[in-house]
Amino acid sequence: MLVTNSPFCLPSPVAEMGDAKAQRSERPKAVQVEIHSEPFSPWQRLESCCDRFAASAVFIGRVRPESAQGTHLDALELTHYPGMCERRIDEDAERLRQLHGAGAVLVLHRVGRLSPGEVIVLVVVQADRRGPAQRCCNELLEVLKHDAPFWKREWCGDQGAWLSGNTPL
Amino acid sequence: MEARLQAVMPHDDSGSVRVLLFAALRDQAGWEEKRMPLAGDGPQTALQLWMALELGALPAAVRVAVNQQLVDPDQQLHAGDELAFLPPFTGG
Repeated sequence: MLVTNSPFCLPSPVAEMGDAKAQRSERPKAVQVEIHSEPFSPWQRLESCCDRFAASAVFIGRVRPESAQGTHLDALELTHYPGMCERRIDEDAERLRQLHGAGAVLVLHRVGRLSPGEVIVLVVVQADRRGPAQRCCNELLEVLKHDAPFWKREWCGDQGAWLSGNTPL
Repeated sequence: MEARLQAVMPHDDSGSVRVLLFAALRDQAGWEEKRMPLAGDGPQTALQLWMALELGALPAAVRVAVNQQLVDPDQQLHAGDELAFLPPFTGG
């Protein structure tokens, strides 16, 4: 389920198919940000999002099987500040897109309770060359970790612990 | 040029501020949202309002947002503002 039904998001492909006229007039947005409360397939999104430019840099982040303390992890809970979170990602993505001369940015991020191995985040940056795509993707990922209001809580059994920092680069 | 989203605009709401807590702060306080009055000689800055919540000293790592924009804790508050206290971010 898409948490944010916002101007960040394009109309769905299904909706576009039902309105050929709208499809022709609709130009993909340069920055697209989506927060999902249910699992999404990064591979399905990659099939449909990456044919506009010669170079695409992709990052897929998944839940680790162990906690920050090295013990078995049952689940990872992700919460966010609705509204502020999407806005900050959108603004930072657009700033970095222009800074690096990239063409298009896609960010999908999960919230809710995730199991080990589940996808947390998908970042795709498209550009005319590999340099802008890779640099923008790397920097945007760090922005997501440090500047977007998300919070993680690790669950081991019935014990939950909020994380106070990010893993090293 | 694409239109960017506008920041949340404050609105007067009977002289009160909407206070939001997140993550560990929410668990420690036992609540996630409450309204606090700004009337008379009551708290006028984000930091003063935090102290009125009686949750101890504001942790140095906690960031403050007013109307979904990061601000200094000394930011003046106005009726209808949305004030949020944000533990360190751990996304991505």
